[in-house]
Amino acid sequence: MTRLMAEAINIRTHKAVRLTIGLLVLGAALLAITMLSLTTGARAIPPEHVWAALTAFDPSSTEHRIVLDLRLPRTIVGLMVGAALGLSGAVLQGATRNPLADPTILGINAGASLAVVLGVGLMGVSQLSIYVWLAFAGAGVAMLVVYAVASLGREGATPIKLALAGAAITAVLHSIINAILLTSPRTLDEVRFWQVGSLSGRTIDIAIQVAPFMVLGMVLALATARLLDGLSMGDDVARALGQRIGLSRGMAGLAAVILAGASTAAAGPIAFVGLTVPHVARAITGPGYRWILPYSMLMAPILLLGADVLGRIIAPPGEVQVGIVTAFLGAPFFIALVRRRKLAAL
Amino acid sequence: MFRPLALALTLLATTAWPGYAQAWDYLGGDGETVTLDAVPLRIIASQDAAAGLIPLGIRPVAIYADSAVSDAKALQGLDLSGIEIIGQAWGEVDIEKAAALEPDLIVAEYWPLETTWSGGNDVVAALSPLAPITGPKQGASILTLIEDYEALAASLGADLTASDIAASKATFSASLEAFKAAVAAKPGLTAMAVWAGADALYVAATAGSSELMDFAGWGLKLIDPEVADDRGYWETLSWENADKYQPDLIMVDNRADATMGTALAQPTWTLMKAAEAGQVTDWPAFWLRNYGAYASELDKLTAAINAADAGLAP
Amino acid sequence: MTTTTADITRIVAVRRAAATRRQGVAAGLILALLAAFAMALYLGDYPVAAQGIIQSLLSPLTGLADRGVDFIVLQVRLPRAVLAILAGASFALAGIIFQTLLRNPLASPDIIGIAHGASASAVFCIIILGWSGLAVSLGAFAGAVLTALTIYLLAWRNGVTAFRVVLIGIGMAAMLAAVISYLFTRARLNEVQQAMAWLVGSLNAARPADSIVLGGAMLVLVPLMIALLRGLDAMELGDDTARALGAKVETTRLGLMLVAVGFAAFATAAVGPVGFVAFVSGPLARSLLKGAGRGFLQAALVGALVMLVSDLVAQHLLPTVQLPVGVVTGACGALFLLWLLMASGRSGRVN
Repeated sequence: MTRLMAEAINIRTHKAVRLTIGLLVLGAALLAITMLSLTTGARAIPPEHVWAALTAFDPSSTEHRIVLDLRLPRTIVGLMVGAALGLSGAVLQGATRNPLADPTILGINAGASLAVVLGVGLMGVSQLSIYVWLAFAGAGVAMLVVYAVASLGREGATPIKLALAGAAITAVLHSIINAILLTSPRTLDEVRFWQVGSLSGRTIDIAIQVAPFMVLGMVLALATARLLDGLSMGDDVARALGQRIGLSRGMAGLAAVILAGASTAAAGPIAFVGLTVPHVARAITGPGYRWILPYSMLMAPILLLGADVLGRIIAPPGEVQVGIVTAFLGAPFFIALVRRRKLAAL
Repeated sequence: MFRPLALALTLLATTAWPGYAQAWDYLGGDGETVTLDAVPLRIIASQDAAAGLIPLGIRPVAIYADSAVSDAKALQGLDLSGIEIIGQAWGEVDIEKAAALEPDLIVAEYWPLETTWSGGNDVVAALSPLAPITGPKQGASILTLIEDYEALAASLGADLTASDIAASKATFSASLEAFKAAVAAKPGLTAMAVWAGADALYVAATAGSSELMDFAGWGLKLIDPEVADDRGYWETLSWENADKYQPDLIMVDNRADATMGTALAQPTWTLMKAAEAGQVTDWPAFWLRNYGAYASELDKLTAAINAADAGLAP
Repeated sequence: MTTTTADITRIVAVRRAAATRRQGVAAGLILALLAAFAMALYLGDYPVAAQGIIQSLLSPLTGLADRGVDFIVLQVRLPRAVLAILAGASFALAGIIFQTLLRNPLASPDIIGIAHGASASAVFCIIILGWSGLAVSLGAFAGAVLTALTIYLLAWRNGVTAFRVVLIGIGMAAMLAAVISYLFTRARLNEVQQAMAWLVGSLNAARPADSIVLGGAMLVLVPLMIALLRGLDAMELGDDTARALGAKVETTRLGLMLVAVGFAAFATAAVGPVGFVAFVSGPLARSLLKGAGRGFLQAALVGALVMLVSDLVAQHLLPTVQLPVGVVTGACGALFLLWLLMASGRSGRVN
C-alpha cells in the first residue's frame, strides 16, 4: 500500500518536473522567436543595428526608425495577442466543454467585425487605434448577448446552448456585415485588410491601449484553472464537490471575452490559434488546466510570432498577413496531431 | 434652358410621327452593333454609364450600381432626381422594376479583360432579356471614354452644343492646358500613385488605370513599380520598404477619404521625402466619367504640381 | 424478460403518437411552404394580378400568352422560387446528415469545411482564373467534393471517428478561409466584389436550367439517402453496438457522407454557399418533432421554407436595395433558432 502510494507520488512529481522543464523550453523558444521577430523583416537590417536601435536610438537612421516604429510594436502586440488567444481558447473550451469552442464560434469575432465594419462604413473611421475600441466594444456586446441568450431557459447556459447561441448570433451579425460590405465597396476595400488578421501597421499606441485588458484577462484566466478542472468532471460532479457552476463559467467566460476581445481589437480576427493551440497543449500535458493554461499561453505566441516572421520574408517586398500564415502553418500540424494522437475529448 | 426644349423636340420627332422614326444603331465596345427601329428613349444605365451620360443631357430612367448610390464616387454631384435606382449591390438588380420600366436600351461599359459589361455576368444575364445592351469600351484613356459617351449621347439625341455642356467641356480644355503647362514647367518632377493600407503600401502601375495613362500621355512622369504579383496592377510594398521609390509628388487614391488617414498614420509614411514635405495630392482612381469631374480633379493635381519641389528625388 | 400485452399497447401508443406528430409537423411545414411559394409568385415590383399569375402558369396549356407578364412569372419568379425550394432542401439534408453522423449540431457542412472548400475554389476561379458564371459553379462543385474527400482521407485511421472528422474539418476550414482572405487582399476591388457576392449566395440569376440540374441531382441523391438511412438506425446506437448488429458501419457512413456532400455541392454550385440553412434546419426540425423521429423530411421542408422566406425578405425588405438571399438566411434562420433557444425550457435538447 505505502509502496503504491510512494510510486504514485513519484509519478506525479516526475510529471511535474517533466512539464516544468517543458515550460522552460517553451520560454526559451519564445525568447528566440522574439529576437527573430526584431531582426527579420521585408528589409534586411543587420542584428547589430537592431541592437543599436534598441539601446542607442538615432532618429535620423531609417533602419532605427523601422526597428523602433514598426518591428518592436508589432512584436509586442504579437506576444500579447498570441498569449491572449491561446489562453482564451483554452479557457473557453474548458468552460463550455466543447472542443470546437473558440472566439469565432462564440460570436466574439463577428461582434468585433461588425463594430469595425459599422465604424468604417457609417462613420468613416480609418485609424487602427479607433478600430481597437470598436472591436473591443463589439466583441464584448456580442459575447454578452450570446451569454444572455444561452442563459435563458431552465438549465442556464449549458455548453451546447452557448455554442448554438454563439453560432446563431454570429450568423445574424455576418448577415449585417455582408449587407454592408455588398452595398459599400469602399468599406469592403478597407475591411478586407483588417479582416485577415495582421500585426502589420500596429503601433505602440495600440499595444498600450490593449495592455491593461490583456493583463486583467490573463490574471483572471490563470486564476480559473482549478475551476475549469472542476467543470471538466461534468456539471454534476462539480456541483457535488461544492463548486458554483454558474459562477465558474461566468468567470471563465469573462476572462475569455476580455482576452479574445482585446486580441481581435489589436490584430483583427485570427481564427485558428485559439482553437487549436489548447488541443496541442492538452496532448502534451494531459488533462489538468493547471498545466494546459500556461502551455497554451506560451505556445500560442510562438506560433503567432513565428508565423508573422515567416509572413514577412516569404513574399518580398510585400508581406503575407499573420492570419494566413498561422492557418497554413498551424492547420497541417493540427491535422497531423489529430491523426497521430487520440486527442482527449472534453 | 435649351436642353429640355431639344429633348422635347427629339421626343416629338421620334414619337409623334412614327413615320419619321429613324432606325438607330450603335457600335458597342464589344464589337457588336445594336440596331433599333427608333432612337431609344427609355434607357437603363450602369452607374458609370449614367455618370458619363447625365452631364451630356441624357437622363436614364433607371440606374443600377454595384454599391449604395451615395457611395458611388462617379455619381457624386449629379442630379439623380426622378431616376429609379434598381441595384445597389454587386450582382443584384431588381429585374421586376426594370421590366416595369419597359426599357428600350441598356447602356453599360464593356470590360475587355472580363469580356463582360459593367455589373458582371449575372446582372447582364438578368437585364439582357429586356432590351439590348451596349456602350463604350473601357480602355487606355478616360478622355477617349468621355468622347465615346459624347458620340453615344449625340446619337441618342443630346444637344452637345447646349451652353452648360459646352461650357463644361471648355473648362476641361482649360484645365488640361494648365496641367500640361505645369508638367512642362517641371520636367524633372516624378509622381507616384498609391493606395495605402494598414498592412502595406500599394503602388499603382500606370497601365492599370485609364486616368494614369492619360496623365502619362500628357507628359507627367509616373513611377512605374516592379509589378511582380497582383495581376499587373500594383506592387505591394511592406511599410518597411516604403522608401523604395522616391517620387516628388505622391497621389493617394481618393475613392475613400479613409485611405489618406491610413497613410498618414503609418510611422514610415514619411520615409518618402515627398510625404515628409507634404507633397501629397489626390488620385481620382478609376471613377472619372465626365468633363466636370475631370476638370476639378486635374485642377487639384495642377495646383499640387505647381507647388511641388521637383528636386526632392535624387 | 417477458413482454406483457400492456407493454405492447403502450409501445404502440407511443409510436402512434410519434407518427402523428411527424405527419402533423410535415403537413404544417408543407402548408407554410405553399403559402410562401404563392407569395413568391405574387409579390414583386412588376404588378401582376393573382389572376394573371394563374393564367401565366397555365399558359403552356392554354396558349393564352401575355409577353410581359409571362416573362415576369415564368422566367423570373417561378425559376427563382423553385430554385430556392430545391436548394434550401438540399442544404438542409446535407446539414442534417452530417449532424446526425457526427452527433454534433455544429458539424454542418458550412462549419466543418465543405462550404469553405467550395468557396475557396470559387474565389480562386473568380480572382485568379478570371472565370464567371457556370465555370465558377463547376469549380465550386469540384472544390466541395475534393475538400470532403480530403477531410475523409485525413480522418481515416482504421476507420473514421466523428471527433476526428470534425476537428480535421475545422482545420481545413481555417486553411481554406485563409486562402479566401488572402485572395481578397490580392485582387482588384471589383473582383473582390464579384467574389463576395458569390460567397454570400444569391438567387438573382436563377435560371430554369439551374433548377433542372439541381432537381436531377436530388432525384438520384434522395433515394440513395433513404436506402442508406436504414443502416443508420442501427448506427445511432453507437459504433460498437452497430458493428455487433452486423451493420456495415463504414460503408453506411461513407455512403451517407458522399450523399451529403453531393447535396451540399450541387446546391452550392447552383446558388452559392448560402449560409446557415444547412446548420439550422436539422435542429429546428428536431425541436418541432420533440423527439418523434429523426426528421429528415421535416428538415428538408424547414430548409426550403427558410430559403424561400429569406429570399422574399431579401427582395422586399428595403425598397431600393435588393439584397442577395444569403444576407437574410443567416438572420432568418438565426432568429428562429434564438427563439427556439429562448422558448424551449429543455433547450439543451435542441439537437
